[in-house]
Amino acid sequence: MDDLLAIKNLHVGFRIFEGRLHVLNGVQLDVREGERVGLVGETGCGKTTTVKSVLRVLPKPPAEVLDGQILYRGRDVLDMSRRQMIMLRRHELTAIFQDPLQSLNPVFTIGTQLRDIVKDSAIGRGKRLSRRDVEDRCIEALRETGMPDPERIMTNYPVQLSGGMRQRICIAEALSTNARLLLADEPTTNLDVTIQDQILRKLDELVEEKGASVVMITHSMGVVRDLTERANIMYAGSIVEAGETRELLETPKHPYTKGLMASVPKLTGEGISEGIPGRIPNYLDPPSGCRFHPRCEHQMDICTNEPPPLYEIGDGHRVACHLYREAS
Amino acid sequence: MSDSPILSVSRLVKHFPTKAGVVRAVDDISFDVATGDTLGLVGESGSGKTTTAQCILGIYPPTSGQISFDGAPIGVVFNRRRKVLKRKIRIVFQDPGSSLNPKRTIKQILTVPLKVHGMGSARERLSMMSELLEMVELPPAEYLYKHPQAIGGGEKQMVAIARALATNPRFVVLDEPTSALDVSVQGKIINLLMRLAEELELTYLFITHDLSLMRNVATRVAIMYLGKLCEIARTEQFFRAPQHPYTKMLLSSIPVVTSDEEALKPTKIVSQGEIPSPVNVPPGCSFHLRCPARMPICSQIDPEMQELADGQMVRCHLYNHSPD
Repeated sequence: MDDLLAIKNLHVGFRIFEGRLHVLNGVQLDVREGERVGLVGETGCGKTTTVKSVLRVLPKPPAEVLDGQILYRGRDVLDMSRRQMIMLRRHELTAIFQDPLQSLNPVFTIGTQLRDIVKDSAIGRGKRLSRRDVEDRCIEALRETGMPDPERIMTNYPVQLSGGMRQRICIAEALSTNARLLLADEPTTNLDVTIQDQILRKLDELVEEKGASVVMITHSMGVVRDLTERANIMYAGSIVEAGETRELLETPKHPYTKGLMASVPKLTGEGISEGIPGRIPNYLDPPSGCRFHPRCEHQMDICTNEPPPLYEIGDGHRVACHLYREAS
Repeated sequence: MSDSPILSVSRLVKHFPTKAGVVRAVDDISFDVATGDTLGLVGESGSGKTTTAQCILGIYPPTSGQISFDGAPIGVVFNRRRKVLKRKIRIVFQDPGSSLNPKRTIKQILTVPLKVHGMGSARERLSMMSELLEMVELPPAEYLYKHPQAIGGGEKQMVAIARALATNPRFVVLDEPTSALDVSVQGKIINLLMRLAEELELTYLFITHDLSLMRNVATRVAIMYLGKLCEIARTEQFFRAPQHPYTKMLLSSIPVVTSDEEALKPTKIVSQGEIPSPVNVPPGCSFHLRCPARMPICSQIDPEMQELADGQMVRCHLYNHSPD
């Protein structure tokens, strides 16, 4: 099976006054055609930087790609020209961000913004749509996301809508282009659980229908379990564990994943663990070897010297931890 | 346990008149908190959880209704409250990044409540502050002279907790104390809060939107929707047999992480509709527009809170067995 997106050993840094923040430290991620992949991690672990690298929207400077490849259908995104990148974003890639108020322009109506996208993606495909067709497609796209009264919504401004509605609009915009890969960066983090549930279900349905692939970025283990087939756990700029979602969450292997799972409050009510001591490292001077070693209870000598590769421990379950050196 | 409640709220109403109409932030709610209990007040954004807390603290005077603390009514504005009350009831806010003054050191931050309440001399205060920081597991020598920006989010929240505990309170309102933090940090804060509750015999009103967290923390859970309470019950009972349709919807919407948890969720109730605006609350039961079990009566008459078996209170027409 061919990978739609393959991120290979990606290193990204940010040059600031104090030196260089080495944020992404060899990210490995692959997404197959039609697959839903989760990218989970806590604040500041580099999830969003990864997505922005793929979309090539990181401001350079201060950002700089130090090493690695981002292959989209075998072609390196990092080598593409500006023009090729525009075409790629127009047809193939699409994104939903956490805060819909920031992705929507406050001074234009929803209609204006949605029409632009529909027109643009049609032109990109060499078609010109009549005004009526554009209107129909917009309304159809809104209706697909379960929005009541789409005709009225088209004339509204973003501030007139609730958070859930705004996020639906972003989903409508993202999916109206028939993109092949959707990068969803914490699309429901700001929403209430019942609304989150509605939005995720709708997103799931639409993605299924259009056969697109999804990279779901989130800090919620529950959302990943609900929506994705494979999960990648990220810590301090690298993937520390990857595998089939349910299996990974039931039997986490990496000490970080274990600590994380134990600190998630559960409905079974067995109490909450103390969490993981310490905090995410300073990227100006990250720990040598495994970046998790200062917080790890299984720390060995090798951990401070050698960064662990992703060891295969069976059935696509991979762990970046020296504890599993023998098992692989 | 519940011989005499430490805090009792009865028929509390708080309306805010605005140009667009009256915002019914809190609309006739009643509940008691027994000494040593942790009441989890759960609801979605805009349901009036924080307004309830602010009325208890006296930040807003209630529009009508009674709040009593230790049997004495306290439903007045903050600046007319007796000082001793302000010492007994404290709050920890959601975002420690904005509730701690960035220009002050932690020592200065912790001094304020001690000075205001005239506790100890300058020297005594210093040792009190050290004790407070030790209580929240921050080494005083290391932290006293730092500014909030120099420490992590979890540690900031620890300082905020220390500040709340500075005046030896009996009742602490926790307004989403961990929702701005990562889960790995949350665990530590929650365990600390629970340990302190036991050691200092504190009573908590824990405001949150996270039901899974309440399962592990609260002794009783109250669910709020659009300024009204839907259901109150003891935690175990609540999670074993949720009654109100909204509660069921809420519980079945939680994304869980293990299959053991999955088994505990009620059968899936598909969540539908938006939360209406509190300016324009639907007539009758405010939940009827989104309710899967709605009946004709729901759009006309607002149901009354009633007690089912052993202390479980529900406000829904489904459980209304009075002859009519």
